[in-house]
Amino acid sequence: MLTFSRRGGVHPAYHKELASGLPIEPCPLPKRLEIPLSQHLGVPAAPLVSRGDEVSPGDVIAEAPKLISAHVHTPAAGKVRSVVQKPLPGGRMCDYVQIDVDEERTAAHEWSAREVDLAQVDPQWLARTSREAGIVGMGGATFPTDVKLSPPPTAKLDVFILNGAECEPYLTCDHRMMVEHAREILQGIELVHAAFGFSRVIVGIEENKPEALEAFRREAKSFAGMPLEIAALETRYPQGAEKVLIESTTKRVVPAGKLPFEVGVVAANVQTMYALQQAAYLGKPLGERVVTVSGAGIATPKNLRVPVGTPIAELAEHCGGFSEQTTKIVMGGPMTGIALPSLDYSITKGAGGLLFLTQHDYPDESPCIKCGSCVDVCPMRLMPLKLAAFAKAGKFEEAKATNLADCFECGCCAWACPANIKIVSWIKYAKNYIRVKGI
Amino acid sequence: MSNTEGFVLQAAPHAHGRASVPRIMHAVNISLLPVIVISVLYYGLHVLGLYAIGIATCLATEALVKVARGRSWRSILDGSAVVTALLFVMVLPPSISPLLVVIGSAAAIFFGKEVFGGIGHNVFNPALVGRAFIAAAYPVQITTWTAAREVFGFLPPPRTLSVVEAATGATPLAAARFEGTTEPLIRLFFGQTAGSIGATSVLFILIGGLALTAMGIVRWRMVVSFLGTVFVGTGIFWLIDPGTYANPVFHLLAGGVMFAAFYMITDMVTTPYTNTGTVIFGAGAGLLTVIIRLFGGFPEGVMYAILLMNAATPIINRMNNRVFGAEAAS
Ligand code: SF4
Ligand code: SF4
Repeated sequence: MLTFSRRGGVHPAYHKELASGLPIEPCPLPKRLEIPLSQHLGVPAAPLVSRGDEVSPGDVIAEAPKLISAHVHTPAAGKVRSVVQKPLPGGRMCDYVQIDVDEERTAAHEWSAREVDLAQVDPQWLARTSREAGIVGMGGATFPTDVKLSPPPTAKLDVFILNGAECEPYLTCDHRMMVEHAREILQGIELVHAAFGFSRVIVGIEENKPEALEAFRREAKSFAGMPLEIAALETRYPQGAEKVLIESTTKRVVPAGKLPFEVGVVAANVQTMYALQQAAYLGKPLGERVVTVSGAGIATPKNLRVPVGTPIAELAEHCGGFSEQTTKIVMGGPMTGIALPSLDYSITKGAGGLLFLTQHDYPDESPCIKCGSCVDVCPMRLMPLKLAAFAKAGKFEEAKATNLADCFECGCCAWACPANIKIVSWIKYAKNYIRVKGI
Repeated sequence: MSNTEGFVLQAAPHAHGRASVPRIMHAVNISLLPVIVISVLYYGLHVLGLYAIGIATCLATEALVKVARGRSWRSILDGSAVVTALLFVMVLPPSISPLLVVIGSAAAIFFGKEVFGGIGHNVFNPALVGRAFIAAAYPVQITTWTAAREVFGFLPPPRTLSVVEAATGATPLAAARFEGTTEPLIRLFFGQTAGSIGATSVLFILIGGLALTAMGIVRWRMVVSFLGTVFVGTGIFWLIDPGTYANPVFHLLAGGVMFAAFYMITDMVTTPYTNTGTVIFGAGAGLLTVIIRLFGGFPEGVMYAILLMNAATPIINRMNNRVFGAEAAS
């Protein structure tokens, strides 16, 4: 079955072949972890540890103070060195807990397998399990999963979608997870299904990942209790954007400015469902994730299972170092990721990629030639050229009235613009201005 | 491992497609090669000189304006001035004097483009501004036509010329309008007839035009709505009174309609950018063309139709697309 399609979207150079065939390897434990306490959307977690505290794998080191937040756990045993302030990718300051890792104690730790009685699983149990394990959306949005799985009582959820699109170029971490851990991911989905009783459970995978589709088709046989559909989606960026994915797989359109539960859908990322499975069946909180290290600038691209809080310099070193030609380091994918000024950052729950790019020419903006490409490719059917022009001219009211808020910053418009206009940067600028000045 | 400083901090996206303004302009220029070749075969080598003069004048005018404004002249290399020059020369009569090419090219760039602030800011199609300028200042020169050489010998002979026609070399459109004679359609299709330098050789326009359409540079919706409107509009009158009005196929093939469809109404800067907008523009330009051709004072109306629609474009562009999910939200 080939599902799609609606207008909008682009076909960037995917570069997935650099890492798509490489099995996931563990990234060696660093000597010191630097774990940021804001790895999720919402309020930063509040530190529970201080200098000198001994911690064991899975300990909560920072607690979510409010509903929209997430606990932070330590993936390794060790001793807290200090809590320091450092910038997150993007520049916002944040508390980091530094832990001097105790390798022996970490290696000795074992997670204890546990039984889950599916009949006992209800939405409350799900939300509690997710919250205790600090699970957030691992596709990049990092929205706390317990909140996502607690829709208002009026919402009737009848469709679940596994977001296995992984439409960002270079990234192959979800692909490898689906190939190697389809069973565990399906067990995670099974828990959500047990709580909500969906009438459709859709696994959405872009058709450029046939091994992943195959793995799910194979494993699906062991999950006869679920109304599973394995859907091959057209390879097109941003197929994995939630609203796009929902329309591609169910033909339902999420109203502008609203959340998926309004149309009865809950969608979750591959690694999020894996994390839920690990939390439920092993009592293992979210303390590691798979990251694709790739790009022309890195010696040996890899898919690494990385403890959260690992400094990215460790990943670079483990992948053979980066070349002199590297001009840009990006956390995330090339379409939406954040460029880093240095290697002084850590892997977080939402970081699917670490890219070393060697692009050399960064052409200046030239005047908009009104070609309409940005309009054609916008998955939200916005008028990106107008948003950019309003932002440039300081006409923020007009930008707002032209549906600025509906832009989810996928980057298609700027990717397609022949005049190299930094449309997304202008849009972000307008959004920030409006937020700060309260227009 | 190299140093950890000096990394580019530009915001996402960190990837870019292959589209660029020079790429688009060069593609348009290259796509015009078939028309350039056939125009030389039809009207002689001096046409090549006219192209060269036009290009040189356009580039020089743009460079002068840039320098006078304290900007770099290098932006003239983006290919857009060459597009303007080629399109401008192609809509002139073959017997035009080189001096008028210089004047018109300079006017096209200066009044058509640079007074608005350069590429991207102009309201009117620069080549047509140049053409309109010459038409207003030198009305006789611009309506004196020469017949094309018989390059394709297998084509049927042209219609018999009246005495008046033989003297002024009227175009097939003028003949149809004022004399009631129509040129064989197949001759029009090859452009082997009296007409402007490049704008009448339908077959050769189609080669480049369809290539541009396949590349997405020409928006097919605009082409279809424009040609469709001309066809239907002229068709209605032909059905009512075939004795007075030429048939719709003739109207598609004669004059500048095909050239306009692929090379004039598709100028991105001066035409709408939404799908709905392009359809409105095409239909509007088609309708105006029909009205001017059938009822106006000139046999050909494409140029004024497009200039009028250029003026309407900012209004059409005020429309916004409906946001994804807007229907569901209301
Ligand atoms: S305007 Fe926003 S949503 Fe639309 S293409 Fe650009 S970044 Fe994507
Ligand atoms: S893609 Fe760029 S040049 Fe084209 S209309 Fe949009 S902003 Fe203007």
